[in-house]
Amino acid sequence: MKTLIVIPAYNEAQNIERVVNNLIDNYNQFDYIIVNDGSKDNTAEICERNNYNYLDLPINLGLAGAFQAGVRYAYENGYDAVIQYDGDGQHEASYIQPMIESMIETNSDIVIGSRFATKKKPFSLRMLGSRMITMAIKMTTGKKIKDPTSGMRLFNRKMIEKIAQNINYGPEPDTISYLVSCGAKVSEVQVEMHERVAGESYLNLTRSARYMTNMFVSIFLVQFFRSKE
Amino acid sequence: MSVTLRIVLIVMSILTSIYVLVQIRKSQLKIEEASFWFFFSAILILMGLFPQIVNFGAKIFGVQAPVNFVFLGIIFILIIRLFHLNVKLSQLENKVENLTQRYSIDENNRRKESKKVQ
Repeated sequence: MKTLIVIPAYNEAQNIERVVNNLIDNYNQFDYIIVNDGSKDNTAEICERNNYNYLDLPINLGLAGAFQAGVRYAYENGYDAVIQYDGDGQHEASYIQPMIESMIETNSDIVIGSRFATKKKPFSLRMLGSRMITMAIKMTTGKKIKDPTSGMRLFNRKMIEKIAQNINYGPEPDTISYLVSCGAKVSEVQVEMHERVAGESYLNLTRSARYMTNMFVSIFLVQFFRSKE
Repeated sequence: MSVTLRIVLIVMSILTSIYVLVQIRKSQLKIEEASFWFFFSAILILMGLFPQIVNFGAKIFGVQAPVNFVFLGIIFILIIRLFHLNVKLSQLENKVENLTQRYSIDENNRRKESKKVQ
């Protein structure tokens, strides 16, 4: 399977070289593309200097728009699968191959790099949100997704076509839930994730609350009115 | 409805129309967008000139003071307008996203081409 690693990067100057060099040096069987999402730091400059393959968005679109740019690139260049991969070093590239194998074996449309596929989810405040989303998806689709908020997801060609061409397909749990209700097959592969090494996390209390509200409205209400293909 | 309120309605609607026309003259507003505001002014003028309409509406909807019916109507129209603007904003955002992505992918292709030539 011709697989593209999509790396959305917003102000990741401190991380991007480490992350991408690792991919180039040790995993060159995969293609990659960095999507510089209008960073204010010198992320673009680093990409240019290192001769990386990158898209340079002139303005900041946010994660959904940046990821979609990468998926459009994959769509136009005939890739069979796309993996969403963090620019801050949280994800471990050694799990990409197992995820691809799982996609082929189980004939899945989406494979989630899951922290809780075989391991138990800890009872922390952070995981409360994850539990609530798991429950919401289970209630509306009947499918149990153990790590819906994992940012490491593999999509096949069918999903690439949808994500590249439509709005409201941001790489978030509600999209997964909607795709499941459209008949997409989702499976999970156990992975390890690192704490971010440098830079700032996007989530704070206000943002988390807004995020949860959006997810619940989307999964419990909007999902039922979206057209199912 | 008091005479003062009627005068206020009429004056406000005339001022609104003038302001809209000025904005069109200054090329700040598309003509098709302006029609909403003319329609809006027309409703204010009608309510100011013919308070019977307001009294009648208030009676039908069971609003005690006719003036409240004026407010209700205006709020209602503005909420619909607000929602329309929200839809437009979403469409606009989508267009900007599309354009940005298209641009960056084309630029990526150009970059590769120029590197190939070198």
